[in-house]
Amino acid sequence: MVQINFALKEVNCKVVFYGPGMSGKTTNLEIVHQKAPEENKGELTSISTDGDRTLFFDFMPLDLGNVAGMRTKFQLYTVPGQVYYNATRKLVLQGVDGVIFVADSDPEKIDENIESYANLIENLTEYGKDIRELPHVIQYNKRDLPNAMPVAELDKRLNKFGVPTFEAVAYTGEGVFPTLKTLAAMVLESIDKIDGRNPRKSVGAKAPAAAAAAPAGRPAPQAAPAGKAPPQARPPAGRPAAPAPAPAGSRGAAPALLRKPVAAAGRPAPAAGRPGHAPAHRRVAATPVTAPPVARKRGGFGVLVALTVLLLVAAAGVAYLFLGNQGG
Amino acid sequence: MADKKPMSANAKLRHDRLTFYKNDVDKIDKLLAEFLRLSGAKCALLIDKEGHLVTKRGELRTIDIDTISALVAGSFAATKEMARLLGEEEFTAMFHQGERDNIQLSLVGDRTLLTILFDDRTTVGMVRLYATETAKKLADIHREAQDRGDQDPGLGDGYGTDAKKTLDKLFD
Repeated sequence: MVQINFALKEVNCKVVFYGPGMSGKTTNLEIVHQKAPEENKGELTSISTDGDRTLFFDFMPLDLGNVAGMRTKFQLYTVPGQVYYNATRKLVLQGVDGVIFVADSDPEKIDENIESYANLIENLTEYGKDIRELPHVIQYNKRDLPNAMPVAELDKRLNKFGVPTFEAVAYTGEGVFPTLKTLAAMVLESIDKIDGRNPRKSVGAKAPAAAAAAPAGRPAPQAAPAGKAPPQARPPAGRPAAPAPAPAGSRGAAPALLRKPVAAAGRPAPAAGRPGHAPAHRRVAATPVTAPPVARKRGGFGVLVALTVLLLVAAAGVAYLFLGNQGG
Repeated sequence: MADKKPMSANAKLRHDRLTFYKNDVDKIDKLLAEFLRLSGAKCALLIDKEGHLVTKRGELRTIDIDTISALVAGSFAATKEMARLLGEEEFTAMFHQGERDNIQLSLVGDRTLLTILFDDRTTVGMVRLYATETAKKLADIHREAQDRGDQDPGLGDGYGTDAKKTLDKLFD
């Protein structure tokens, strides 16, 4: 769940790469880590087996920098894809703000893709989340396989909710950044949209939110350099889609495509943000708890000691009287 | 704000997301500083269950805060599952012992974790004693903040536009 911290002036979002085993989730993250500018990325941490299979998750922080006075950070996670790690997969999904579903284009893996997508829906449901309301995109990875399943077919079988899809050859970097960029835009747009309903905002405030919504719903196809098959944002299934370009046939063609923009970029940005607006001081909350616990304990102990002493004195008095009476 | 009506999707998201205000974080910082003074621990972090840092106090040297926050949240989430298998709702504290450095985790309310790093200059008993008390006080601060849940002011009008520009700059 998005965390907004007005004290640190930070917005934190959680993005998860989901998908079947060996579909390329960790590879996606490794490429992001390799290619992201030094000042924007943190360490890539993997909790994996000796055989490099993800055991719990891989993790990498990605710092977008200052957005309208708030430092905006994404925490990128992968899940273990193997079926029997569902418990840990579900844990990683806790509090997720956006999902990149990495599907394998190998025709033999289609059932695993479908099963994993169904598993995503099921796990989200257990957290009370509806996938239709969660920003998510699908990446068709391994487009360089000679027998890669046609994108139209993958769309038909997997993309039930008409979300943006991307072709990728993750290990070369192709398609990795366009996928992440679109998802990141969708997540940030969802934050902005929520705030767009805030009664404090002016009517005009809804314009940027609507503008930001554009890349999510209809990712713009990108211009492809001649001779190369770029990673593409595709219109969702059910729309009049352009015919699928031939899959990238050669592994060598990819790296140059890394930084192709996928979503409609360069939209005029009218309003400067309100840097540093810190709405913190609205109403001072009542009484921080300050009573030292140790003092309370000492007080209780003192009463106990006093009572014991009183009892002893009373007992001694009674004994004295009793003995005195007997002696007399 | 105690309406029982079903919330809209956006209202639910606004309700679910964690928002921390400066006044509250100032109070939390004070509590953490006092905790460090009493317990002799090196460092105290408050993180949410999703692994995002809320605030920190104490000496951190070269520790990568983002990573440790994510790992702490992950390990706590894993123990929750273990607790469930044992019939518990969740464990409220965890302790990792190293040769010199140790980590103590305490659940604070429903959604945050108090993470304490300490070494052999103090004892686990001291840390636990004061951590338990501090966690209660932190939970009170959260509760107060939650009770004022209608105050979320949003991120400002320029956020969406600025976010898009930032993404373009980073990824293109």
